[in-house]
Amino acid sequence: MRDGLRACMKERAVLGPGTGRWPGLAAWYLPLGDRGAVFGAACVRPAPAADESGREHAQALCALLGQALGRLHLGHSMQAAQREVERQQLQSTFLAAISHDLRTPLAAIVAAATSLQTQRERLDAAAQVRLLQSIVNEANYLSTMTDNTLQLVRLASPGQVLQRSWESPEEIVGAVLARIRQHDPARRIRSRVPEGLPLVRADAVLLAQLLTNLLDNALKYSEDEIELSVEVQDRTLELCVQDRGPGIAEGEREAIFQPYVRGDRAGRHGTGLGLAVCRAIAQAHGARLLLHPRAGGGSSFCLQLPIEPQPTTPEPPP
Amino acid sequence: MSLHVLVVEDDREIRTLIQSALSVEGFVVQTAVTLREALALLQHRPPDVIVLDLGLPDGEGQELVRAVRRQSSLPIVVVSARHQEAQKIELLDAGADDYLTKPFSVAELLARIRVALRHRGTALAAAVTVHELDDLKIDLATRTVLRDDQPVHLTPTEFELLARLVRSAGRVVTHRQLLAEVWGPEYTEHTHYLRLYMGQLRAKLERDPAEPRHLLTETGVGYRLATE
Repeated sequence: MRDGLRACMKERAVLGPGTGRWPGLAAWYLPLGDRGAVFGAACVRPAPAADESGREHAQALCALLGQALGRLHLGHSMQAAQREVERQQLQSTFLAAISHDLRTPLAAIVAAATSLQTQRERLDAAAQVRLLQSIVNEANYLSTMTDNTLQLVRLASPGQVLQRSWESPEEIVGAVLARIRQHDPARRIRSRVPEGLPLVRADAVLLAQLLTNLLDNALKYSEDEIELSVEVQDRTLELCVQDRGPGIAEGEREAIFQPYVRGDRAGRHGTGLGLAVCRAIAQAHGARLLLHPRAGGGSSFCLQLPIEPQPTTPEPPP
Repeated sequence: MSLHVLVVEDDREIRTLIQSALSVEGFVVQTAVTLREALALLQHRPPDVIVLDLGLPDGEGQELVRAVRRQSSLPIVVVSARHQEAQKIELLDAGADDYLTKPFSVAELLARIRVALRHRGTALAAAVTVHELDDLKIDLATRTVLRDDQPVHLTPTEFELLARLVRSAGRVVTHRQLLAEVWGPEYTEHTHYLRLYMGQLRAKLERDPAEPRHLLTETGVGYRLATE
């Protein structure tokens, strides 16, 4: 039968008894579609050579099927074209944003470095320290941006597999805090991590990046204390970063998770990639990342990570 | 006598920067651009420490780490970019001593080299048996652990885990190494054992287990017992 269907699709004509083509076959083979495009073929049995009206009936049905398939096909190719357009748009937004966000810090680095190169003798010690600090800051910013960009591209690519294992939320938070406190000399971050938290199945490096981005944002956009808390609600681990910053307007609360959208359009820094990466990391973990306005002002970002049945623990020590 | 460092790095800018930063500190610096060149230099005169960049044009560094480990406990510090995570862990498992992630500061590079040198010649023998930092004192020979001069009771497994970190104090120890050496080679995938036992150790040894001073987490890699 497979050969018959193939031949029918190839010849784009009805085959079988009474059709004048391949009369020796035990069935009629009818193409689905018209001369322009054939999307398939049908096999109809029994197929008496004399049953002309039966054959016509089958042909009419197959013509209808062919039209329907044609419409489906058209729809698909239009969607594919639409997706391609969107992909290209994203790519050009991407390139525009990247080149803008690369140029600004690069300009600062080159300016500071060349100033030191040509004017060092005339600059006082404090000015030299300022220039050096600005080179370090801008370069670190470029490094973070590169990490976020690569991570976003990686998470968006199909077939992305997470390196999941059993991880301790307390450890991840502790490691992130140890690093980020170096940029928080005033110790504005207050953390509340209860004892005895369950383990989670997660990619620790990605979760750490998510938390780092949230804390970086909070430090950048607010002047006051920042609260970091971890709680267990039912079968969900809730990790929240809350600030007393200007907050985010209701209309922007969804948009801010899109790449290249940021809360402070006038602000000098921020690629608008950080939160997009956070959302992508949350989604890859089957988790939700929510943004709520905070009572009394500011924003509250919460990651809700499902808690899976805990692994069997090693034998209790004697 | 000055200490010799072999820097294996194919990027000229970074190689030159590392060389000048280390020379200023009094090290004698040799450089190699490829693994082949590094292996040849090692035959000629073994240095006191190797700084090895990942992603060299002629290979991934495993060969160098194995070749060095067959003969000596010469410390090796791996320098990697963030996307080379898996490769870095492989080298650590294969016997490299520690790592640095690009971009790194000169201060970080010097700190890693200092720690690596402290362990010179001790990676094979259990020479480091006493550890002391702030409120914590550990003596492996007498199996005593003191916190604020008060004895802390540890279960045998907790003690084994802590002892393994003490023997490499200041250096990262990978998940795989800890699981294989404390629980056994068939347990290298049981990362949850580590999470649970490290949690218990921190609860007993740390003032604030959520922000540890001693038992540091190297996310995705392993743990490190702080020495400074």
